[in-house]
Amino acid sequence: MIEVENLTKRFPTQVAVSDVSFSVREGEIVGFLGPNGAGKTTAMRVLTGFLPPTSGTARVAGYDVVTRSEEARASLGYLPESAALYPEMRVREYLAYRARLEGVRGAEVARRVRQAIENCLLEEVADRKVDNLSKGFRQRAALAGALVHQPPVLILDEPTVGLDPMQVIKIREMIRLLGRERAVLLSTHILPEVDAVCDRVLIIDRGSIVAEGTAAELRSRLAGSPIVRASFAGSVEAREPLAALPGVTSVSEEAADGETRVRLECAAGADPREDVFRTAVARGWVLRELVREVVSLEDVFVRLTRHEEIAPEAAALSRPEEAAAAEEQSMENPS
Amino acid sequence: MRKFLAIVGREWRAYFFSPLAYVILAAFLLMNGMIFSAIVAFLNTPGAPKGQALPFLFTNTYFWIFNLFVVPIITMRLFAEERKSGTIETLLTSPISETTVVLGKFTGALGFFLTLWAPTLVYVLILRSQTPIDLGPVAAGYLAIALIGAYFLSIGTFASTLTKNQIVAAILGFAMLIPVFSAGLLESLSNDPGKRDTLGYFNLWDHMEEFSRGVVDTRRIVYYLSATAFFLFLTTVTLSAKKETP
Repeated sequence: MIEVENLTKRFPTQVAVSDVSFSVREGEIVGFLGPNGAGKTTAMRVLTGFLPPTSGTARVAGYDVVTRSEEARASLGYLPESAALYPEMRVREYLAYRARLEGVRGAEVARRVRQAIENCLLEEVADRKVDNLSKGFRQRAALAGALVHQPPVLILDEPTVGLDPMQVIKIREMIRLLGRERAVLLSTHILPEVDAVCDRVLIIDRGSIVAEGTAAELRSRLAGSPIVRASFAGSVEAREPLAALPGVTSVSEEAADGETRVRLECAAGADPREDVFRTAVARGWVLRELVREVVSLEDVFVRLTRHEEIAPEAAALSRPEEAAAAEEQSMENPS
Repeated sequence: MRKFLAIVGREWRAYFFSPLAYVILAAFLLMNGMIFSAIVAFLNTPGAPKGQALPFLFTNTYFWIFNLFVVPIITMRLFAEERKSGTIETLLTSPISETTVVLGKFTGALGFFLTLWAPTLVYVLILRSQTPIDLGPVAAGYLAIALIGAYFLSIGTFASTLTKNQIVAAILGFAMLIPVFSAGLLESLSNDPGKRDTLGYFNLWDHMEEFSRGVVDTRRIVYYLSATAFFLFLTTVTLSAKKETP
């Protein structure tokens, strides 16, 4: 439904999107992931016909966004980053206006508006002025505006920005539901969102796509060697017995806060956690902590978009807090 | 067409959601009320030529001052507001041509402008009930108001695409209207008949007097319509070009 080939968008002072190719099929939700300023919004603006491409082609629902712009625009619903609305209009009025602009006619307008209000959980504010709405409701009203005409393609620029966690969950559920029979391209810099919603991820950095695949694929491709961390009460000589365990390739040890912390690097596919536990029991060590580090999408993302070249292991070592935080997050959001 | 009407409707209604519309409306009615009472006072003078007073409604200095100031204020929000808030992005990514957007917004503004004038029809009815009035010149006067209004509004609409700041758009509009209006006034300063003719073609003040006497000159109509079309074309071009810096 969305086909992009060698798309480049150059501004007078910079190249915002450089030779990007990808596609989104019907029934697929693709996440556009990248740091701020990576070119996500520009790429989306080209797709929606708002900006002309410098070179390359983009098609939406089979229509070229340059030569068949009006047809392409008729087949898509776009939520811009600003999620801007007309402050003086009531929500219902705004949605009816958007529906008419999109070419919905007559009695169908009211029906579509009702559906959009229902889908985006806007019943309680449907007759309030946009000006008096909270940020969350505005965001949802803008989202409702993007899908009121029920287009086959949805392009959503950061759809869950400014929503509270309950609303985020509901909107994600809705996007997943919509994505069953549509092609959805959504941009985000919130990584758990990708895990929660998207079938596939495009990681874009400085205008280029640096990785593409499902979240699981990206994890396994970039996971490197598994790591197991353990800590024992008091000072113990853990290095040698643990290094002898099968699958462990190297051990580093450090003493801190009255405990001994070890970090085991393992061969691919190895999981020595049970052996570590048995060793501890056999030697009478008091085990305080035993975890296997899961490579989160954050790690993948950071590694791909980190601009200075650092070996992954060194990077992991230099950022123990980040890694821990990433781990927590990945446990909260099991994919 | 439906999309065009949707835009016209929204733009026209949007005026009445802002206090500005009511300030303009009130000032306008105050001004025309004063003029009307002056007309009535004139007609009450013994020996006043009956039926000669009404053109004064269109040919007084206030009429022009008001138009020069109010038109840019009416048009300033058309594009500047949408570019500032970002709604321009959803508007221009809807399946509507830029020309339709420009025409829709312009027509909405023209609708509001004519709404301002609508109450003055009451004056015509009141005078008509008291004294014989030739309706021909009155109709010509209102036609001129619509045409010159459209011309001025097209300039203001163009100004509104040049900036995101509404106040700047209003000032730009005003700055563009002043030469358009005053070029023709230079006619009286010139002695060269060729120059006088050329400048006369642009002399809106005199045109208005002609219309209010009931003289409908097609040259005037061609001038207003082609100038309006020209500025609306410029608006469309600027709108497309400005998307690069949304």
